[in-house]
Amino acid sequence: MAIQVSGITKRFNDFTALDSVDLEVKSGELLALLGPSGSGKTTLLRIMAGLESADGGGLLLNGEEALGLKPRDRQVGFVFQHYALFRHMTVFENVAFGLKVRPRGQRPGSAEIKRRVTELLDLVQLSPFASRYPAQLSGGQRQRVALARALAIEPKVLLLDEPFGALDAKVRKELRRWLRKLHDDIHITSVFVTHDQEEALELADRVVVMNQGRIEQIGTPAEVYDHPASAFVYEFLGQVNRFDCMVEGGIARVGDGTLAIPTQGGVQGPAVAYVRPHDLGVTPASAGPARISGIHVVGPDARIDIDLAGLALEAEMDRERLATLGIAAGDRCAVHIDRARVFAR
Amino acid sequence: MVAAADSDGPLAGKGRAVTVRAPVAFFRKPSVLPGFGLTLGFTLSYLSLIVLVPLAALIVKSSGLGWNGFWAAVTTPRVLAAFEVSFGLSFAAALTNAVFGFLVAWVLVRYDFPGKRLVDALVDLPFALPTAVAGIALSALYAPNGWLGKPLNELFGLKVAFTPLGIAIALTFIGLPFVVRTVQPILQDLPAEEEEAAASLGASRFQTFSSVILPAILPALVTGFALSFARGIGEYGSVIFIAGNMPGLTEILPLLIVIKLEQYDYAGAAAVGTAMLGVSFIMLLILNLLQQWMRSRHAR
Repeated sequence: MAIQVSGITKRFNDFTALDSVDLEVKSGELLALLGPSGSGKTTLLRIMAGLESADGGGLLLNGEEALGLKPRDRQVGFVFQHYALFRHMTVFENVAFGLKVRPRGQRPGSAEIKRRVTELLDLVQLSPFASRYPAQLSGGQRQRVALARALAIEPKVLLLDEPFGALDAKVRKELRRWLRKLHDDIHITSVFVTHDQEEALELADRVVVMNQGRIEQIGTPAEVYDHPASAFVYEFLGQVNRFDCMVEGGIARVGDGTLAIPTQGGVQGPAVAYVRPHDLGVTPASAGPARISGIHVVGPDARIDIDLAGLALEAEMDRERLATLGIAAGDRCAVHIDRARVFAR
Repeated sequence: MVAAADSDGPLAGKGRAVTVRAPVAFFRKPSVLPGFGLTLGFTLSYLSLIVLVPLAALIVKSSGLGWNGFWAAVTTPRVLAAFEVSFGLSFAAALTNAVFGFLVAWVLVRYDFPGKRLVDALVDLPFALPTAVAGIALSALYAPNGWLGKPLNELFGLKVAFTPLGIAIALTFIGLPFVVRTVQPILQDLPAEEEEAAASLGASRFQTFSSVILPAILPALVTGFALSFARGIGEYGSVIFIAGNMPGLTEILPLLIVIKLEQYDYAGAAAVGTAMLGVSFIMLLILNLLQQWMRSRHAR
């Protein structure tokens, strides 16, 4: 394994940022730390890099105890959300920085530095921009420079703090795909922090969902999405409809029986049921219990707001399905649910 | 400007306004910021009234001597020595301020300690204090029988008051706030992430300082240096008490000018003033160009 975190704890005054966190990052994998702001994900990443100290616990990098090491001795590449490029240096100088500051004995010659930097700029597709200053680049280009700069020191581990957070949606998506491809090519053990569930699910080999300084679940994107371990994970990964319900004999009843949902698992008594919008079926019914309060078409999909006896629900379907159903805002309809996850309250 | 605006009316909507505006557009880039003509006009008249006219009067006054007379007046050994004292010591004081003023700014920005606000306020005192008061206080302190002058003399044989060293100390005193106040805001805005990035890339503390922090604040540091330097050249009040004012040794240019005035040698005083102005202008111009060059490398 490349990184082993055991029992790491970190407090800022009264606030517990990390509460005894254990985590193993396998060699060569791309791991996402996913969570809302304040969940401790960035703190954990900064502790791995040595930019923040831990109050307790242990950290092994490639089997070596690393908590006592300075950042410069950890052989870790760090990419910042806001790039943190050296603005008085050209792109070339930025990438070369990590090589130029090496102690005299380990420093490559200037021809070797030039070769390596050129190679890295090719890798991040920025060769024509070598003599530009960071201020002359777009956000996506700057982040690629930051990545090349971090890779220049040949780190054992690459840590990325919200690497796409400061970019606009389209560039973010492109850069995300590009990073995935890059990782498939060079296979460097990488950990990235994000609050965007879509980003984590698309990019990562494994996703670590964090909340309030603890790890809620670790698993592949499919595992955490399809089998969320807790109510928090379910709510955090994508849109949900949430019902307070009573479970009796495998049937969850919402309110005074307006809705009965079949459930799995052995939960009994008061519980919370979750249904994804695309698992919520809608059929037109003139005497149905629900009313359609609004339809929003977003690109190829349609979002349908439903009012079920005072309960606001959201359904999602593609536009063709919407056209087939022939429903409009104000119509009455029936609602049926095939799948729901229930967590005890 | 006004003419262009007037002819704007009838031509509007005919697509020919551009031709009419061409001479104005030569100076002016299209902008939504209003008042270019008004503010430029005001700035130029104001600068003329406050700065250029008095300086021109100075040059006119000294021109009464003729070129040869002027040259003779400013190349006497006493004037040349005063030039050396004024510019040399101002330069040394500004350099000292650049180093220690930067240190003060660094401490004020980077660390929290009890009494920080007080120290911050102390930095401005040399601005507020009448310079003569500062001069008297410094000469009392560094005089051979003063609190600091006595031990310095007894322990190291170092004479401060009434020597060039004393002048340098007075100039350092009055120039300090310039460096601190120009560097402080830049240091405050310096993102900590750049330093963290340097550290994670393997740079030592010293390398981080010399190749990341220093280049970023260098333009501000040069500004502070230039201001401190310029202030030192013109300084009079605080220096004359501690200098001893021995011609050729500790006599500064402003004092020499006053002495010439007292001897009713107005043209001679104006000549020295003009020469001083010329040298200062050239030096500040060089510093400004240097700064511009450094800023352009940031390409912000």
